[in-house]
Amino acid sequence: MIRKFTIALALIAALVSFGNKAVAQCDTVANACVRHMTNKYISDGQHYRALLLDKEIAEFQSTFYGGTTYRIAACSGLGDGNLVFRIFDKERNLLFDNSEQQNASYWDFKFVSTLDCTIEAQIIPGKAPSGCAVMMISFKQ
Amino acid sequence: MNHKKYLKLALVGFILFSATAVITSCGDPKKAEEPEEEPVDAAKDLLTSVNGELFSIPSPLQTSILLKSSGANYSKDILNLTSKLPSYSTEYKKALNLGVYGADLGYVIIYGQTQDALGYLNASKRLADDINVSGAFDANLMKRFEKNMGNNDSLLSIFTSGYRATDSYLKNNDRNAVSGMVITGGWIESLYFTLNILKKDFKNKNVIIQRVGEQKNTLDHVIKLLTPFYQNPEMTELTELTDALLELYHEFEDIEVKYTFVKPTTDVANKITTINSTTEVKITDEQLKNITEKLSAIRQMIIN
Repeated sequence: MIRKFTIALALIAALVSFGNKAVAQCDTVANACVRHMTNKYISDGQHYRALLLDKEIAEFQSTFYGGTTYRIAACSGLGDGNLVFRIFDKERNLLFDNSEQQNASYWDFKFVSTLDCTIEAQIIPGKAPSGCAVMMISFKQ
Repeated sequence: MNHKKYLKLALVGFILFSATAVITSCGDPKKAEEPEEEPVDAAKDLLTSVNGELFSIPSPLQTSILLKSSGANYSKDILNLTSKLPSYSTEYKKALNLGVYGADLGYVIIYGQTQDALGYLNASKRLADDINVSGAFDANLMKRFEKNMGNNDSLLSIFTSGYRATDSYLKNNDRNAVSGMVITGGWIESLYFTLNILKKDFKNKNVIIQRVGEQKNTLDHVIKLLTPFYQNPEMTELTELTDALLELYHEFEDIEVKYTFVKPTTDVANKITTINSTTEVKITDEQLKNITEKLSAIRQMIIN
Protein backbone atom coordinates (compact mmCIF):
# COMPACT_ATOMS: atom_id res chain seq x y z
CA MET A 1 0.00 0.00 0.00
CA ILE A 2 2.82 2.40 0.92
CA ARG A 3 4.43 1.64 -2.45
CA LYS A 4 1.22 2.54 -4.28
CA PHE A 5 1.03 5.73 -2.31
CA THR A 6 4.61 6.59 -3.25
CA ILE A 7 3.84 5.96 -6.93
CA ALA A 8 0.77 8.22 -6.71
CA LEU A 9 2.84 10.96 -5.14
CA ALA A 10 5.53 10.62 -7.81
CA LEU A 11 2.85 10.91 -10.50
CA ILE A 12 1.48 14.04 -8.88
CA ALA A 13 4.97 15.55 -8.66
CA ALA A 14 5.59 14.74 -12.33
CA LEU A 15 2.31 16.36 -13.33
CA VAL A 16 2.97 19.49 -11.31
CA SER A 17 6.44 19.74 -12.76
CA PHE A 18 5.05 19.25 -16.27
CA GLY A 19 2.40 21.92 -15.78
CA ASN A 20 4.86 24.43 -14.31
CA LYS A 21 7.40 23.84 -17.08
CA ALA A 22 4.73 24.32 -19.73
CA VAL A 23 3.59 27.60 -18.16
CA ALA A 24 7.18 28.83 -17.85
CA GLN A 25 7.86 27.83 -21.45
CA CYS A 26 4.77 29.70 -22.70
CA ASP A 27 5.78 32.78 -20.67
CA THR A 28 9.27 32.74 -22.16
CA VAL A 29 7.90 32.42 -25.70
CA ALA A 30 5.33 35.19 -25.06
CA ASN A 31 8.03 37.53 -23.72
CA ALA A 32 10.15 36.89 -26.80
CA CYS A 33 7.18 37.28 -29.17
CA VAL A 34 6.00 40.60 -27.76
CA ARG A 35 8.95 42.37 -29.42
CA HIS A 36 7.09 42.11 -32.73
CA MET A 37 4.33 44.30 -31.33
CA THR A 38 5.82 47.75 -31.83
CA ASN A 39 4.44 50.98 -30.39
CA LYS A 40 2.34 51.65 -33.46
CA TYR A 41 0.13 48.70 -32.54
CA ILE A 42 -2.33 48.30 -29.67
CA SER A 43 -2.70 44.87 -28.12
CA ASP A 44 -6.16 43.27 -28.05
CA GLY A 45 -5.43 42.53 -24.39
CA GLN A 46 -5.56 38.75 -24.71
CA HIS A 47 -3.06 35.90 -24.74
CA TYR A 48 -3.46 32.91 -27.00
CA ARG A 49 -1.34 29.89 -26.20
CA ALA A 50 -1.34 26.22 -27.09
CA LEU A 51 1.09 23.49 -26.20
CA LEU A 52 1.60 21.52 -29.36
CA LEU A 53 2.84 17.98 -29.58
CA ASP A 54 3.93 16.19 -32.73
CA LYS A 55 1.92 17.37 -35.72
CA GLU A 56 -0.88 18.96 -33.76
CA ILE A 57 -2.50 22.16 -34.94
CA ALA A 58 -3.82 24.93 -32.70
CA GLU A 59 -6.92 26.62 -33.99
CA PHE A 60 -7.86 30.22 -33.15
CA GLN A 61 -11.22 31.72 -34.11
CA SER A 62 -11.27 35.45 -34.55
CA THR A 63 -13.20 38.35 -36.04
CA PHE A 64 -11.24 41.12 -37.75
CA TYR A 65 -12.94 44.45 -38.30
CA GLY A 66 -13.04 46.14 -41.68
CA GLY A 67 -10.94 49.26 -42.18
CA THR A 68 -8.39 48.09 -39.61
CA THR A 69 -4.79 47.01 -40.00
CA TYR A 70 -3.78 44.18 -37.71
CA ARG A 71 -0.45 42.68 -36.81
CA ILE A 72 -0.46 38.99 -36.03
CA ALA A 73 2.61 37.45 -34.43
CA ALA A 74 2.95 33.70 -33.99
CA CYS A 75 5.92 32.31 -32.13
CA SER A 76 7.34 29.11 -30.72
CA GLY A 77 10.72 28.80 -29.06
CA LEU A 78 13.01 31.78 -28.65
CA GLY A 79 13.99 32.29 -32.26
CA ASP A 80 11.92 33.24 -35.28
CA GLY A 81 10.52 30.97 -37.96
CA ASN A 82 9.59 27.94 -35.86
CA LEU A 83 5.89 28.14 -36.48
CA VAL A 84 3.68 27.92 -39.54
CA PHE A 85 0.47 29.91 -39.38
CA ARG A 86 -2.32 30.05 -41.90
CA ILE A 87 -5.42 32.19 -42.03
CA PHE A 88 -8.66 30.93 -43.55
CA ASP A 89 -11.98 32.66 -44.11
CA LYS A 90 -15.22 31.03 -43.02
CA GLU A 91 -15.48 29.17 -46.34
CA ARG A 92 -11.99 27.71 -45.77
CA ASN A 93 -10.41 29.81 -48.50
CA LEU A 94 -6.75 30.28 -47.65
CA LEU A 95 -6.03 33.98 -47.08
CA PHE A 96 -2.44 33.78 -45.88
CA ASP A 97 0.24 31.19 -45.27
CA ASN A 98 3.47 32.35 -43.64
CA SER A 99 5.35 29.36 -45.07
CA GLU A 100 5.15 31.25 -48.39
CA GLN A 101 6.90 34.16 -46.65
CA GLN A 102 9.89 32.33 -45.19
CA ASN A 103 7.93 31.42 -42.05
CA ALA A 104 7.75 35.07 -40.99
CA SER A 105 6.97 35.37 -37.27
CA TYR A 106 4.69 38.32 -37.83
CA TRP A 107 2.75 39.85 -40.67
CA ASP A 108 0.40 42.79 -41.12
CA PHE A 109 -3.13 42.47 -42.50
CA LYS A 110 -5.35 45.20 -43.80
CA PHE A 111 -8.99 44.13 -43.72
CA VAL A 112 -11.17 45.90 -46.26
CA SER A 113 -14.31 44.47 -44.63
CA THR A 114 -15.10 42.65 -41.38
CA LEU A 115 -14.26 38.96 -41.59
CA ASP A 116 -14.61 35.89 -39.40
CA CYS A 117 -11.42 33.90 -39.70
CA THR A 118 -9.71 30.80 -38.44
CA ILE A 119 -6.00 30.90 -37.74
CA GLU A 120 -4.14 27.61 -37.59
CA ALA A 121 -0.69 27.30 -36.07
CA GLN A 122 1.66 24.35 -36.22
CA ILE A 123 5.26 23.80 -35.21
CA ILE A 124 7.38 23.24 -38.29
CA PRO A 125 8.23 19.56 -38.48
CA GLY A 126 11.88 19.02 -37.74
CA LYS A 127 12.32 22.31 -35.88
CA ALA A 128 11.15 20.90 -32.56
CA PRO A 129 9.16 17.86 -31.49
CA SER A 130 6.83 19.93 -29.32
CA GLY A 131 6.50 23.31 -27.73
CA CYS A 132 4.37 26.22 -26.74
CA ALA A 133 2.78 28.17 -29.59
CA VAL A 134 1.93 31.77 -28.77
CA MET A 135 -0.18 34.04 -30.92
CA MET A 136 -0.65 37.76 -30.40
CA ILE A 137 -3.04 40.11 -32.15
CA SER A 138 -2.73 43.86 -32.18
CA PHE A 139 -4.14 46.64 -34.33
CA LYS A 140 -3.30 50.11 -35.54
CA GLN A 141 -5.32 53.02 -34.28
CA MET B 1 -4.64 8.49 9.13
CA ASN B 2 -4.69 5.01 7.51
CA HIS B 3 -3.37 4.14 4.07
CA LYS B 4 -6.80 3.99 2.51
CA LYS B 5 -7.29 7.60 3.46
CA TYR B 6 -3.88 8.45 2.04
CA LEU B 7 -4.77 6.82 -1.24
CA LYS B 8 -8.06 8.64 -1.38
CA LEU B 9 -6.20 11.87 -0.80
CA ALA B 10 -3.67 10.98 -3.45
CA LEU B 11 -6.45 10.26 -5.91
CA VAL B 12 -8.11 13.60 -5.19
CA GLY B 13 -4.71 15.25 -5.53
CA PHE B 14 -4.12 13.49 -8.82
CA ILE B 15 -7.41 14.74 -10.23
CA LEU B 16 -6.74 18.25 -8.99
CA PHE B 17 -3.26 18.33 -10.43
CA SER B 18 -4.43 16.85 -13.70
CA ALA B 19 -6.68 19.85 -14.00
CA THR B 20 -3.77 22.08 -12.98
CA ALA B 21 -1.64 20.76 -15.77
CA VAL B 22 -4.14 22.02 -18.28
CA ILE B 23 -3.14 25.42 -17.15
CA THR B 24 -0.67 25.43 -19.62
CA SER B 25 -3.49 27.66 -20.62
CA CYS B 26 -3.38 26.05 -23.72
CA GLY B 27 -6.19 25.50 -25.99
CA ASP B 28 -6.80 22.27 -27.45
CA PRO B 29 -4.65 21.27 -30.29
CA LYS B 30 -6.24 19.60 -33.26
CA LYS B 31 -4.77 16.80 -35.28
CA ALA B 32 -3.13 17.81 -38.49
CA GLU B 33 -3.76 14.51 -40.10
CA GLU B 34 -6.10 11.58 -39.70
CA PRO B 35 -5.49 10.13 -36.25
CA GLU B 36 -3.15 7.20 -36.28
CA GLU B 37 -3.10 4.31 -33.88
CA GLU B 38 -0.89 5.58 -31.11
CA PRO B 39 -0.07 4.40 -27.64
CA VAL B 40 -1.92 6.35 -24.98
CA ASP B 41 0.09 9.43 -24.08
CA ALA B 42 -0.92 10.74 -20.66
CA ALA B 43 0.66 14.15 -21.20
CA LYS B 44 -1.22 14.64 -24.46
CA ASP B 45 -4.52 13.72 -22.80
CA LEU B 46 -3.92 16.40 -20.18
CA LEU B 47 -3.72 19.07 -22.83
CA THR B 48 -7.03 18.26 -24.40
CA SER B 49 -9.70 20.83 -23.64
CA VAL B 50 -13.17 21.65 -24.89
CA ASN B 51 -13.78 21.64 -28.63
CA GLY B 52 -10.20 22.23 -29.62
CA GLU B 53 -10.51 25.92 -30.35
CA LEU B 54 -9.39 29.20 -28.87
CA PHE B 55 -11.59 32.24 -29.27
CA SER B 56 -10.44 35.75 -29.77
CA ILE B 57 -12.84 38.53 -28.81
CA PRO B 58 -12.08 41.86 -30.53
CA SER B 59 -10.86 44.56 -28.20
CA PRO B 60 -13.57 46.97 -26.91
CA LEU B 61 -11.10 49.72 -27.81
CA GLN B 62 -11.76 49.15 -31.49
CA THR B 63 -15.42 49.98 -30.98
CA SER B 64 -14.51 53.22 -29.17
CA ILE B 65 -12.18 54.17 -32.03
CA LEU B 66 -15.00 53.57 -34.52
CA LEU B 67 -17.48 55.63 -32.47
CA LYS B 68 -15.11 58.56 -32.34
CA SER B 69 -14.22 58.38 -36.03
CA SER B 70 -17.88 58.28 -37.02
CA GLY B 71 -18.53 61.60 -35.31
CA ALA B 72 -20.31 60.50 -32.12
CA ASN B 73 -19.68 62.85 -29.19
CA TYR B 74 -18.27 61.78 -25.83
CA SER B 75 -21.11 60.63 -23.54
CA LYS B 76 -20.12 60.03 -19.96
CA ASP B 77 -23.69 59.07 -19.08
CA ILE B 78 -23.44 55.75 -20.96
CA LEU B 79 -20.52 54.52 -18.84
CA ASN B 80 -20.71 52.55 -15.60
CA LEU B 81 -20.20 54.65 -12.48
CA THR B 82 -16.99 54.03 -10.52
CA SER B 83 -18.98 54.78 -7.37
CA LYS B 84 -20.59 51.35 -7.77
CA LEU B 85 -17.25 49.68 -7.10
CA PRO B 86 -17.86 48.90 -3.37
CA SER B 87 -21.04 47.00 -4.23
CA TYR B 88 -19.17 44.40 -6.25
CA SER B 89 -18.52 41.80 -3.59
CA THR B 90 -18.35 38.45 -5.39
CA GLU B 91 -15.64 37.20 -7.74
CA TYR B 92 -18.29 36.93 -10.46
CA LYS B 93 -19.25 40.62 -10.18
CA LYS B 94 -15.65 41.75 -9.75
CA ALA B 95 -14.41 39.89 -12.83
CA LEU B 96 -17.26 41.06 -15.07
CA ASN B 97 -16.94 44.65 -13.92
CA LEU B 98 -13.17 44.56 -14.37
CA GLY B 99 -14.03 44.02 -18.03
CA VAL B 100 -16.71 46.72 -17.92
CA TYR B 101 -14.39 49.32 -16.40
CA GLY B 102 -11.67 48.33 -18.88
CA ALA B 103 -13.99 49.07 -21.80
CA ASP B 104 -14.99 52.37 -20.16
CA LEU B 105 -11.36 53.29 -19.55
CA GLY B 106 -10.55 52.66 -23.20
CA TYR B 107 -13.50 54.82 -24.23
CA VAL B 108 -12.47 57.80 -22.08
CA ILE B 109 -8.85 57.59 -23.28
CA ILE B 110 -9.89 57.44 -26.95
CA TYR B 111 -11.95 60.59 -26.38
CA GLY B 112 -9.06 62.25 -24.55
CA GLN B 113 -11.09 62.65 -21.33
CA THR B 114 -8.13 62.12 -19.07
CA GLN B 115 -9.90 63.69 -16.08
CA ASP B 116 -12.15 60.60 -16.03
CA ALA B 117 -9.41 58.11 -16.89
CA LEU B 118 -7.74 57.93 -13.48
CA GLY B 119 -11.01 57.00 -11.78
CA TYR B 120 -11.54 54.07 -14.16
CA LEU B 121 -7.91 52.97 -13.87
CA ASN B 122 -8.13 52.98 -10.07
CA ALA B 123 -11.38 51.01 -10.21
CA SER B 124 -9.76 48.46 -12.55
CA LYS B 125 -6.73 48.13 -10.29
CA ARG B 126 -8.89 47.63 -7.22
CA LEU B 127 -10.93 44.87 -8.90
CA ALA B 128 -7.81 43.18 -10.30
CA ASP B 129 -6.28 43.20 -6.80
CA ASP B 130 -9.52 41.88 -5.30
CA ILE B 131 -9.57 38.88 -7.62
CA ASN B 132 -5.91 38.25 -6.77
CA VAL B 133 -4.35 39.10 -10.08
CA SER B 134 -1.07 40.00 -8.53
CA GLY B 135 1.01 42.54 -10.29
CA ALA B 136 -1.15 43.22 -13.35
CA PHE B 137 -1.79 46.82 -12.29
CA ASP B 138 1.33 47.33 -10.20
CA ALA B 139 2.72 50.55 -8.77
CA ASN B 140 4.98 51.00 -11.77
CA LEU B 141 2.06 50.82 -14.23
CA MET B 142 0.01 53.27 -12.15
CA LYS B 143 2.94 55.68 -11.99
CA ARG B 144 3.59 55.47 -15.74
CA PHE B 145 -0.10 56.09 -16.41
CA GLU B 146 -0.15 59.25 -14.30
CA LYS B 147 3.10 60.45 -15.84
CA ASN B 148 1.72 60.08 -19.37
CA MET B 149 -1.54 61.91 -18.81
CA GLY B 150 -2.25 63.83 -21.99
CA ASN B 151 -0.41 61.37 -24.21
CA ASN B 152 -3.25 59.14 -25.36
CA ASP B 153 -1.11 56.68 -27.32
CA SER B 154 1.03 55.98 -24.26
CA LEU B 155 -2.03 55.69 -22.02
CA LEU B 156 -3.59 53.13 -24.38
CA SER B 157 -0.40 51.13 -24.48
CA ILE B 158 -0.02 51.19 -20.68
CA PHE B 159 -3.58 50.22 -19.89
CA THR B 160 -3.76 47.44 -22.52
CA SER B 161 -0.54 45.99 -21.08
CA GLY B 162 -2.32 45.86 -17.67
CA TYR B 163 -5.25 43.97 -19.18
CA ARG B 164 -2.99 41.65 -21.15
CA ALA B 165 -1.06 40.86 -17.97
CA THR B 166 -4.38 40.14 -16.23
CA ASP B 167 -5.47 37.75 -18.98
CA SER B 168 -2.09 36.02 -18.98
CA TYR B 169 -2.02 35.65 -15.19
CA LEU B 170 -5.54 34.22 -15.06
CA LYS B 171 -4.92 31.73 -17.84
CA ASN B 172 -1.56 30.65 -16.38
CA ASN B 173 -3.26 29.98 -13.08
CA ASP B 174 -6.06 27.91 -14.53
CA ARG B 175 -8.63 30.61 -13.86
CA ASN B 176 -10.16 30.47 -17.30
CA ALA B 177 -13.66 31.14 -15.99
CA VAL B 178 -12.50 34.45 -14.47
CA SER B 179 -10.59 35.33 -17.65
CA GLY B 180 -13.74 34.58 -19.68
CA MET B 181 -15.81 36.80 -17.38
CA VAL B 182 -13.41 39.76 -17.72
CA ILE B 183 -13.52 39.46 -21.52
CA THR B 184 -17.32 39.04 -21.50
CA GLY B 185 -17.77 42.14 -19.30
CA GLY B 186 -15.70 44.21 -21.72
CA TRP B 187 -17.65 42.96 -24.72
CA ILE B 188 -21.05 43.63 -23.10
CA GLU B 189 -20.04 47.16 -22.09
CA SER B 190 -18.69 48.11 -25.51
CA LEU B 191 -21.82 46.82 -27.25
CA TYR B 192 -23.93 48.66 -24.67
CA PHE B 193 -22.38 52.01 -25.36
CA THR B 194 -22.48 51.38 -29.12
CA LEU B 195 -26.24 50.72 -28.97
CA ASN B 196 -26.89 53.71 -26.72
CA ILE B 197 -24.85 56.11 -28.78
CA LEU B 198 -27.10 55.17 -31.71
CA LYS B 199 -29.92 56.91 -29.83
CA LYS B 200 -28.00 60.18 -30.09
CA ASP B 201 -27.59 62.45 -33.08
CA PHE B 202 -24.55 62.12 -35.34
CA LYS B 203 -23.73 61.60 -39.02
CA ASN B 204 -22.37 58.14 -39.77
CA LYS B 205 -24.83 55.92 -37.97
CA ASN B 206 -24.81 53.25 -40.68
CA VAL B 207 -21.22 52.26 -39.92
CA ILE B 208 -22.15 51.78 -36.27
CA ILE B 209 -25.29 49.79 -37.12
CA GLN B 210 -23.17 47.56 -39.35
CA ARG B 211 -20.76 47.05 -36.44
CA VAL B 212 -23.64 45.90 -34.22
CA GLY B 213 -24.63 43.29 -36.80
CA GLU B 214 -21.02 42.14 -37.03
CA GLN B 215 -21.19 41.08 -33.38
CA LYS B 216 -23.10 37.91 -34.31
CA ASN B 217 -19.96 35.81 -34.59
CA THR B 218 -18.29 37.48 -31.60
CA LEU B 219 -21.31 36.74 -29.42
CA ASP B 220 -21.08 33.12 -30.51
CA HIS B 221 -17.43 33.15 -29.38
CA VAL B 222 -18.29 34.77 -26.05
CA ILE B 223 -20.86 32.04 -25.39
CA LYS B 224 -18.32 29.36 -26.32
CA LEU B 225 -15.80 30.93 -23.94
CA LEU B 226 -18.27 30.55 -21.08
CA THR B 227 -19.68 27.15 -22.07
CA PRO B 228 -17.10 25.03 -20.18
CA PHE B 229 -18.38 26.52 -16.91
CA TYR B 230 -22.06 26.13 -17.73
CA GLN B 231 -23.88 24.02 -15.13
CA ASN B 232 -20.96 24.27 -12.72
CA PRO B 233 -22.89 24.20 -9.42
CA GLU B 234 -20.52 26.79 -7.96
CA MET B 235 -21.15 29.22 -10.81
CA THR B 236 -24.92 29.53 -10.99
CA GLU B 237 -24.74 33.25 -11.78
CA LEU B 238 -22.48 32.50 -14.73
CA THR B 239 -24.99 29.91 -15.95
CA GLU B 240 -27.74 32.56 -15.78
CA LEU B 241 -25.56 35.01 -17.68
CA THR B 242 -24.83 32.40 -20.36
CA ASP B 243 -28.57 31.71 -20.69
CA ALA B 244 -29.22 35.44 -21.12
CA LEU B 245 -26.49 35.64 -23.78
CA LEU B 246 -28.04 32.67 -25.58
CA GLU B 247 -31.37 34.55 -25.57
CA LEU B 248 -29.56 37.54 -27.02
CA TYR B 249 -28.02 35.33 -29.70
CA HIS B 250 -31.54 34.41 -30.89
CA GLU B 251 -31.96 38.08 -31.84
CA PHE B 252 -28.77 37.94 -33.91
CA GLU B 253 -29.63 34.68 -35.64
CA ASP B 254 -31.79 36.20 -38.37
CA ILE B 255 -29.42 39.01 -39.25
CA GLU B 256 -28.50 38.62 -42.92
CA VAL B 257 -24.79 38.25 -43.57
CA LYS B 258 -23.56 38.01 -47.17
CA TYR B 259 -19.92 37.05 -47.62
CA THR B 260 -18.00 37.38 -50.89
CA PHE B 261 -14.51 35.95 -51.25
CA VAL B 262 -12.00 38.08 -53.15
CA LYS B 263 -8.38 37.01 -53.55
CA PRO B 264 -6.04 38.79 -51.11
CA THR B 265 -3.07 40.83 -52.32
CA THR B 266 0.33 40.72 -50.66
CA ASP B 267 3.03 43.36 -50.53
CA VAL B 268 6.05 41.27 -49.56
CA ALA B 269 8.44 44.19 -49.20
CA ASN B 270 6.24 45.80 -46.53
CA LYS B 271 5.11 42.51 -45.04
CA ILE B 272 1.45 43.33 -45.47
CA THR B 273 -1.47 41.44 -46.99
CA THR B 274 -4.70 43.18 -47.90
CA ILE B 275 -7.72 40.98 -47.30
CA ASN B 276 -10.11 42.07 -50.02
CA SER B 277 -13.10 39.82 -49.23
CA THR B 278 -16.29 41.58 -48.19
CA THR B 279 -19.05 40.99 -45.69
CA GLU B 280 -22.39 42.74 -45.96
CA VAL B 281 -24.65 42.81 -42.94
CA LYS B 282 -28.36 43.63 -43.08
CA ILE B 283 -30.00 44.37 -39.77
CA THR B 284 -33.60 45.58 -39.43
CA ASP B 285 -34.81 48.30 -37.04
CA GLU B 286 -36.76 45.70 -35.12
CA GLN B 287 -33.71 43.47 -34.71
CA LEU B 288 -31.73 46.47 -33.50
CA LYS B 289 -34.47 47.39 -31.01
CA ASN B 290 -34.69 43.84 -29.64
CA ILE B 291 -30.90 43.57 -29.33
CA THR B 292 -30.78 46.91 -27.50
CA GLU B 293 -33.44 45.80 -25.01
CA LYS B 294 -31.90 42.43 -24.28
CA LEU B 295 -28.33 43.69 -24.08
CA SER B 296 -29.36 46.53 -21.74
CA ALA B 297 -31.07 44.01 -19.43
CA ILE B 298 -27.92 41.85 -19.38
CA ARG B 299 -25.77 44.86 -18.62
CA GLN B 300 -28.08 45.83 -15.74
CA MET B 301 -27.70 42.29 -14.43
CA ILE B 302 -23.93 42.62 -14.18
CA ILE B 303 -23.41 46.23 -13.08
CA ASN B 304 -26.09 46.31 -10.35
